[in-house]
Amino acid sequence: MRRSRWPPVVTAAVLVFLWLPIAVLAANSFNRSRFGSSWEGLSLRWYRALLADADTWRALRNSLVVGVGATLTSLALGTSAAVALHRHRSRLQRLHYALVYSPLVVPDLLMGMSLLVLFVALGADLGLGTVYLAHTTFCVSYVAMVVLARLQDFDPSILEAARDLGAGRWTVVRRVLLPLLAPGLAAAGLLAFTLSIDDFVITFFVAGPGATTLPVRVYSMIKHSRNLPAINALSVLMLAATFTAVRASRRLLQEDRP
Amino acid sequence: MSPARTVLAIALAALAAGCGRPRPVLHVFTWADYIKPELVRRFEREHGCRVVIDTFDSNEALHAKLQAGARGYDVLTPSSYMAAVLRRQGRLRDLDHARLPNLRHVDPDHLRRAPDSEMVYSVPYMITATGIGWLAHRVPDAEPSWTLFDRSDLRGRMTLLNDMRETLGAALKLLGHSLNSTNEAELAAAADVVLRWKRNIAKFENEQYKSGLASEEFFVVHGYSGDIVQAMESNANIVFAVPREGAPMSCDDLVIPVDAPNPELAHAFINFLHDPAVAAENTEFIGYLCPNKDALPLLSEDTRSNPAIVVPAEVRDRCEFIADLGPALSLWTRAWDRIKGGQ
Repeated sequence: MRRSRWPPVVTAAVLVFLWLPIAVLAANSFNRSRFGSSWEGLSLRWYRALLADADTWRALRNSLVVGVGATLTSLALGTSAAVALHRHRSRLQRLHYALVYSPLVVPDLLMGMSLLVLFVALGADLGLGTVYLAHTTFCVSYVAMVVLARLQDFDPSILEAARDLGAGRWTVVRRVLLPLLAPGLAAAGLLAFTLSIDDFVITFFVAGPGATTLPVRVYSMIKHSRNLPAINALSVLMLAATFTAVRASRRLLQEDRP
Repeated sequence: MSPARTVLAIALAALAAGCGRPRPVLHVFTWADYIKPELVRRFEREHGCRVVIDTFDSNEALHAKLQAGARGYDVLTPSSYMAAVLRRQGRLRDLDHARLPNLRHVDPDHLRRAPDSEMVYSVPYMITATGIGWLAHRVPDAEPSWTLFDRSDLRGRMTLLNDMRETLGAALKLLGHSLNSTNEAELAAAADVVLRWKRNIAKFENEQYKSGLASEEFFVVHGYSGDIVQAMESNANIVFAVPREGAPMSCDDLVIPVDAPNPELAHAFINFLHDPAVAAENTEFIGYLCPNKDALPLLSEDTRSNPAIVVPAEVRDRCEFIADLGPALSLWTRAWDRIKGGQ
């Protein structure tokens, strides 16, 4: 039987579709011109503009603080929720499931508005703290769903075997459950971080004075800013940082193996 | 440290980052890059304070946020029409003119046409006009008039804004009416004009026209002065003019919310922005005009002679601010629907 020529073609097409916009963005970050449609020569102009742009760096810092904070909190809460949902079945748990699930289907606009109204009613000062709480709220659902999926093809008898062999409850969690869940936790954490880093709608509503995050700033720059292409430069730097982190983690994981 | 404590520590750190330091803090809620950073730093030095700038991306988003009860901002920069809405809802404070000596520099010619001409609750910050940008070498015989869109020899090479108020407003100005007209016959005639233009244009377009003009895909575009000034940087053949029949102008105002935590510093900031030297520097940086009559002589020759920034007086007299339409809005939407649906 002859092998079809289609799979490599489709693979190539998908890769181009995924990576071409990023390649264009990277190329444009070195374009002297403000507009992507014309090439006016190689230049580091937008990198210089970015370097001098204190507001963008402050926004990036805010995004990272919120992203890391919301990821860690939602990992803890979401994983506990998933374990509870997996282990116990009752009417109350069905309600619990619905509550954890619903933020996934509630539109962002509604969620942002209602959280804002809630914070105002509670008399909370809007700021990075409220952004962190809001992000944790929606990240918990995603984490719980990802971890729950991991738990579903998880053999509970392993835990029982560990107990039989004399491990304490905490040792079982630490030495058996968490290592087995680790890939799911890593995936959930990355997903939560990504969602937090690029959320705009909810953030805009719950952010208070001094809590502008990167997406909120970028949206506002579209209207007036002469510095908008500096965002291309920032994206390239962020991509580079991501690739470096992925490579480094691969290295570390490989070294771990015998 | 246990995981729970780590989380708590990070949460507290996140909260602490939002809280104030001993120095007084001024919170400004505005468009991104709408104040020259060096000027902000100078204000911080002169007043021993810290300025925190947050950004919004549309007047409507700002409105929704304030309406839901967001507080803590000292100075906002909504467009005039939104400032009027916020004022009607009782969200803006009366300005204390004793603390704003620099208001004497504000251009009286602008104030005459502004909705809040006594500056009771707002001080004009930046004005822009809508107009026509074109490529001088492609359309050498172009005239600064809305009739440019009637030229069938430029068919497929022109764009109009995809904005009811701007585009129908342009047609109303061509016919010699107010661009805030609520007269049914005038609106119908304006819609006919736009339908005629529609045959000649490539599309209704709000974003791509800047790069399209810079890359010479389009020869004539209807657009905002600030955008076209940015496009000029990439293509020296671009010319901008506000049509001689007049055009919509818009203005962003400086206002202080009633619940501003630091109204004193907010007044000082508004006063600072209308210092003529500061206003001139800001105009050069943003590419819009701060309506400050004593700043005009301090502008560079390039800026002062750029009709996209300083609109010539005789044309400016025919420009208008877009006002709230009230119940006539449905008349407008019907006319606009006829244009967008018509062939």
